Amino acid sequence: MTAAAPDTPAEPAEPRAGLLARLAAPAPPRHRWRRRLGTAARMVAALALAGGLYAGLAPSVAAEDTPALSEAAKQGQALYNNNCVSCHGRNAEGVRDRGPSLIGVGSAAVEFQVGTGRMPAVAQGAQIDRKPPRLTNDQARQLGAYIDSLGGGPSLPDGEDLHANGDIAAGGELFRTNCSSCHAFSANGGALSSGKYAPGMDNSTDRQIYAAMLTGPQNMPVFGDNELTPQEKEDIIAYVQNLKSDQDPGGWGIGRLGPVTELLVIVLVGMTLVVFTTLWIAGKS
Amino acid sequence: MSTTAQSPATAGAEVPAAGADRFELVREGARRDGVEILHYEPRFPVPGTRRERRIERMIALFFLFTGLASVAFVVVYIWWPWQYKSGFHPDKLYTPLLGLTLAAALAGIGFAIITWAKKLLPHEIAVQDRHDGPSDAQERELTGATMLNMVDELGIKRRPLLKAVIPLSLAPVGLVAAAPLIGGLISNPHKHNQLVTTGWNPANNGGRPVGMVREDYTPVRPDDVSIGGQITVFPGIPGGTTNKHADSPTLLIHLRDADAAELRRNLVPGNHDAMYGNFVAYSKICTHAGCPASLYEQQTNKLLCPCHQSQFNILNNARPVFGPATRRLPMLPITVENGYFVARSDYRVAIGPGFWERPDETT
Amino acid sequence: MKRRKAELAALPGRAASEIDDRFQLATPLRRLFNKVFPDHWSFMLGEVALYSFIVLLLTGTFLALFFDPSMTDVRYDGSYVPLRGIEMSRAYASTMELSFDVRGGLFMRQLHHWAALLFMAAIVVHMLRVFFTGAFRKPRETNWIIGIGLFLFGFLEGLFGYSLPDDALSGTGLRVMNAIVLGIPVIGTWTATSLFGGEFPGTVIIDRFYILHVFLFPGLILGLISVHLGLLVKQKHTQWPGPGRTEHNVVGIRMFPGFAAKGGGFFMIVFAVIALLAGLFQINPIWLFGPYKAAVVAAAAQPDWYVMFLDGSTRLMPAWELRWHMFGHPYMIPALFWPTVVLPGIMFTLAGAWPQLERRFTRDTRAHHLLQRPRDVPTRTAAGMMAVSFYLVLTISGGNDVIADKFRISLNAMTWAGRIGLLVVPPLAYYLTHRICLGLQQHDREVLAHGVETGIIKRDPDGRFFEVHQPLGAADSHGHTALPYVGTPVPKKMNRLGALIPTVRGFFFPVEIVGRPPEAPVSPAVGAAEQRREVGSSH
Repeated sequence: MTAAAPDTPAEPAEPRAGLLARLAAPAPPRHRWRRRLGTAARMVAALALAGGLYAGLAPSVAAEDTPALSEAAKQGQALYNNNCVSCHGRNAEGVRDRGPSLIGVGSAAVEFQVGTGRMPAVAQGAQIDRKPPRLTNDQARQLGAYIDSLGGGPSLPDGEDLHANGDIAAGGELFRTNCSSCHAFSANGGALSSGKYAPGMDNSTDRQIYAAMLTGPQNMPVFGDNELTPQEKEDIIAYVQNLKSDQDPGGWGIGRLGPVTELLVIVLVGMTLVVFTTLWIAGKS
Repeated sequence: MSTTAQSPATAGAEVPAAGADRFELVREGARRDGVEILHYEPRFPVPGTRRERRIERMIALFFLFTGLASVAFVVVYIWWPWQYKSGFHPDKLYTPLLGLTLAAALAGIGFAIITWAKKLLPHEIAVQDRHDGPSDAQERELTGATMLNMVDELGIKRRPLLKAVIPLSLAPVGLVAAAPLIGGLISNPHKHNQLVTTGWNPANNGGRPVGMVREDYTPVRPDDVSIGGQITVFPGIPGGTTNKHADSPTLLIHLRDADAAELRRNLVPGNHDAMYGNFVAYSKICTHAGCPASLYEQQTNKLLCPCHQSQFNILNNARPVFGPATRRLPMLPITVENGYFVARSDYRVAIGPGFWERPDETT
Repeated sequence: MKRRKAELAALPGRAASEIDDRFQLATPLRRLFNKVFPDHWSFMLGEVALYSFIVLLLTGTFLALFFDPSMTDVRYDGSYVPLRGIEMSRAYASTMELSFDVRGGLFMRQLHHWAALLFMAAIVVHMLRVFFTGAFRKPRETNWIIGIGLFLFGFLEGLFGYSLPDDALSGTGLRVMNAIVLGIPVIGTWTATSLFGGEFPGTVIIDRFYILHVFLFPGLILGLISVHLGLLVKQKHTQWPGPGRTEHNVVGIRMFPGFAAKGGGFFMIVFAVIALLAGLFQINPIWLFGPYKAAVVAAAAQPDWYVMFLDGSTRLMPAWELRWHMFGHPYMIPALFWPTVVLPGIMFTLAGAWPQLERRFTRDTRAHHLLQRPRDVPTRTAAGMMAVSFYLVLTISGGNDVIADKFRISLNAMTWAGRIGLLVVPPLAYYLTHRICLGLQQHDREVLAHGVETGIIKRDPDGRFFEVHQPLGAADSHGHTALPYVGTPVPKKMNRLGALIPTVRGFFFPVEIVGRPPEAPVSPAVGAAEQRREVGSSH
C-alpha cells in the first residue's frame, strides 16, 4: 500500500454495517400522530423520573404553620392566655403602653417576674412591686418554657442552691463594685429616681437573684454571663445569702441603714432616757 | 420631824450626833463663803425608822446589783466565746451582754447615789451672793494705774524709733511661725496637670492608648457587656484599679439600637467620635462632689448619683437633668483594638467636681 | 490595840494637816464644798455633754492603742470571713482587727461612737436650753461663743473620727470633703492638694486626720471646756425666778454633798445609757461597707447625724454654677460652695453673734442672772424655732433617700419638698411659735387675774351654770385678783396649789398620808417668814 497524500481528505469510508449503519440511515417515515405521542410519552417519563428522583433523594422540608410545643410549653401557653395576654399580646409581641414584648427575654426572666409575684402585674406605676406570687413555681417554669419557645433567651442553671461553690469574699468585692450602689451595702435596697427603687433581697431565693442579674428586670442593668460569669454570679449570691443570715455582731442592726437610723436611736432612746433621768434627779423650779 | 426652817439658834438641835457646835461651825464657814443655809432639814432626825430602813435597803440592793452586774461583766468579758462565726450564734451575743452588764453596773451605782441624795441627804436650801458686776471702783483705778504705768515704763512713746521699727520687724516673725506649716504642707495642684488628666492618659502607657480592664485587670471585649448592661472599667496600667487613680473609674454602657441612635444625634462636638458602635463610656466620678455616679437605670437611661441625687441623661451626653450637678459627665473616647476596648485618649474635659480655675468646656 | 485604833482614827486629820502645810487648801476647799448650785432638770443637759466627753476620752485611749492610721495596702487575714484576702488600707484592716480580733474591741468601738453621737446631741439640746431661756445674755456672751466653738470643734472631731477607719461610707464623705475644699474660690485647689498631699485621696490624709483627732482637737476641746466651766464657776449658774431669788443671789443646794452626789450619780447613768446603746444597737458596721475604693458607693450614703444638715443643704441646692472670664482665663464657683461653706459659715456666725444682735435689738445692756420663760420672749423664741425648723428640714433632707425608699415616696419629690420646705417651714414656724407664746402669756395672766379652774360646776338660783375658780390671792367682789406676773410658772391646776393631800406613791396605787400639811411643789419651801431677809452684798 502506498502512503496516501496527507492533505487529501479521506474518502468517506464504506457505509458501516450493523447498528451504526442502521442509526446512520435516515429514519423511516412515520405517521405524525405517532410521532407526537412518542414525544409526549418521553416527556412524561422524563418528568416522572426527575420528580421521583427528587422526591426520593431530596431532604424532607417540614413546611409547618405552628411549631410543635413541649408538654410544659403547652401548659405555659394555656397559662399565658389566661394571665398575660391582655398586656403582652397574643404572641407575646407586647402591647403599647401596657406591656413590653417578651420575644427573646428567656425563661429566666419569666421565672423571676412570676416567681417574685411581680407578674401578673395588677397596676401600672413607677415600678412593679414584689408581692405574693399568684402562680406556683411549677407554673412559672411552664410559662418560662412557653416564652422560651417563642424566641429563646437566657435561662437559669438547674438546682435550687446556686451558691454552694461561691466564694463569699470574691462575691463581696463584686457586690460592692456592681450592686451596692443601688441595693445598698446591706442588700436592703435603695431609692432610684422618680419613685423607682432597687428592692431589698430579704425574700430573694438563689434562683431569683441569679435571674435578676441575668435578665436585668425593669431598670436593673443586664449582667450577662460574659460580664459576670456563672461562677461570679454564684460568688455574689453566696455573699448576699451570707449577709442575710449573718447575725449582727454589734447588737440589733437597726436595719443596717446607717446614720439615719442611728440618729433616730440617739434621739428616741439615748436623749429620751437621759432627759427623763434629769427630770427624776433634779427638782422642778 | 419639822418641815419648816428653824431659826439659826435652834437649827443645831436637828443635827444628828456630833453635837450642835459642829453645825454652827458649818454655818459659819458657809457664811464666810458668802453662803447662807436657809433651810436644813435632815430627813430622818430620829434614827431607826422603818422608812429609813426601807430606803437604806433599797440603796443597798442597788449597790449589790452593781456588784453582781460587775462580776457578770467580767465573767462575760473573759469567758463568753466571742470569735466571729457566720450565721446565728450565741457567740454573737457577746457585745450585747457586755452592754447589758456594764449598763446594769453603772445604773446601779447611779440609782444608788441619786436615791441617797434625794431621800437620805438632808433637804437644804442655801443662798449664795453672786458678787457680780464690775470690780470695786477703787480696785479698777489701782489696776488701771498699774497698767498705764507699765506702758509708760516701757517708754514706747518716748522712743519713736522703736515704735516705728517694731511693728515692721515683727510682721515677718509671724510668717516664720506659719512658714514650716504652710511650706511643708503646700502642694501644687497643677503639678503634672493632675487636675485635668486621669489614668487614661496615654502618657501613662508609653504613648499607646490605655486598655480598659475590669477590677481584676482582665481586659474587656464588646461581647462582655450585654445590651442594657453596664460595667465599671479602669485603666489597664499598674495600679489602675487602686485609689492611686481615683479619678479614673469609668462606666461602659451598651445601649439599645434606638437609644444609641438618639445619643448619636445629640452628641456635642467634643464627643462626636467618642462612641464605639452602641457603646458609650462616661466618667463615673460625679461632676458635683466626686461620688461614683453609678446607679444606671437601663430603661429610662438615667444615671443617678446616690450622694446628692444628681441625675444625668445618658442619651444626651450625660447632661444633668436633676439635682445639684451642673456639668455633664465627661465621655471617654473609646475604640476597639485587637478585639479589646481601649481609650483612644484621655477625657477631653476635666473630670469630677469643679474648681476655681477649671478650664472651659470648649463645647 | 486601843492605841492603834486611836492612831488610825487620827490618820485622816494628820494627812490633811500635812497636805495643808504644803498647799494651804483649807479655805479654797471649803469654798468649793459650799458653792451653791440651782437645782433644775434643764441645767443638767450640759453635764450630759461633759460626761459623754469623758467616756470618749477613756474609750478613745483604748482604741488608739490598736488603731493604725496608715494608708498602706495590705491583704486582710483576720476573723471576718467575707473580707478575707481583700486588699485594704492598714487603717481599715486595724479597725477590722479591733472589731473582730480584740476581746471586747467591737464593744469599745461602739461605746466610742455612741458617746460621740450623744455628745453632739447633748450640746445641741443644751444650746437650745441656753438660748430659749436667755442664759447667754450679759455677762455670759463669751461662754455662749465658747459653746458654739465647742459645737464646731466637736463637729470636726467627729468628722475626723468616723473617717479614720477608711471604709467605703466615710471614704465617700472624704471625697465630698475634698470636693468642698476644691470648690473654694481662689485658694481651693491649693488648699485641697496641700491638705491631702496631692490628688485625692493621696496617702497621708488618714494619718493627718489621726493626729488631729487624737491630739490637736481633743486638746482644743478640753481647753474650751475648761474655760467654759471656769467661767461658769466664776459667774455662777443662772437660775429661774422664784421666791427669794434675785439677780444677786443663787438659791439652791451646796456642792457637797448634795450636788456632787447628784452629779456623780448622773454621770453613772449617762455612762449606763451609752453602755446600753453600745451593747444593744449596732453602729457604723464598717465590715458591711468594705474598704474605701473610688468606684464603690452605696445607696443610703450619709454622714453622721450632726453633719447630715450639710448633706441636706447640698442635696437641696439647685444646679446653679457661676462661670465667667477674667483676664482671658475661665473661672468658676461650683454649686457645692454655697451650701457647704457659705451656709454653715452664716449659720455659725449668726449663732455666735446672737447675744450681740439681741443686745442691739432690745437695747438691753444690763447683766442678767435670772432666766426667762420662753413664752415671755416670743420674738426670740420664734426666731429660735425658725432656726430649729431650718436645721431640721436640712437634716431630714440629708436622709431623703432613705425616707424615699422606705416610705415609697419619689426621690425627686423628696428633693422638691425639701427645697420648698426650707423656704416655707421656717417662717411658718416663726408665726406659729409667736402666736403660741402670746397665747400662753395671755393664759398666765388670765389665771393670775381670775384664779384656777377647779372643775366644780355650780348653778346659781337664776339657773346659770358657772365654774368655781380658786383665786390665787386676795380677790375683790368680782373674783379678780391684782397679782402681777413675775416670770415664774403660774399654777393652773388645783394640785399644784398644794390644795390636795400629798400622796406618797405606793408600788401599785397611791397611798395618802393623812395629817401631813400640804407642800407646794412649785416653789420649794423657803424658810419661815421671819427668816426671809434681804441678802445683800454688804459683806
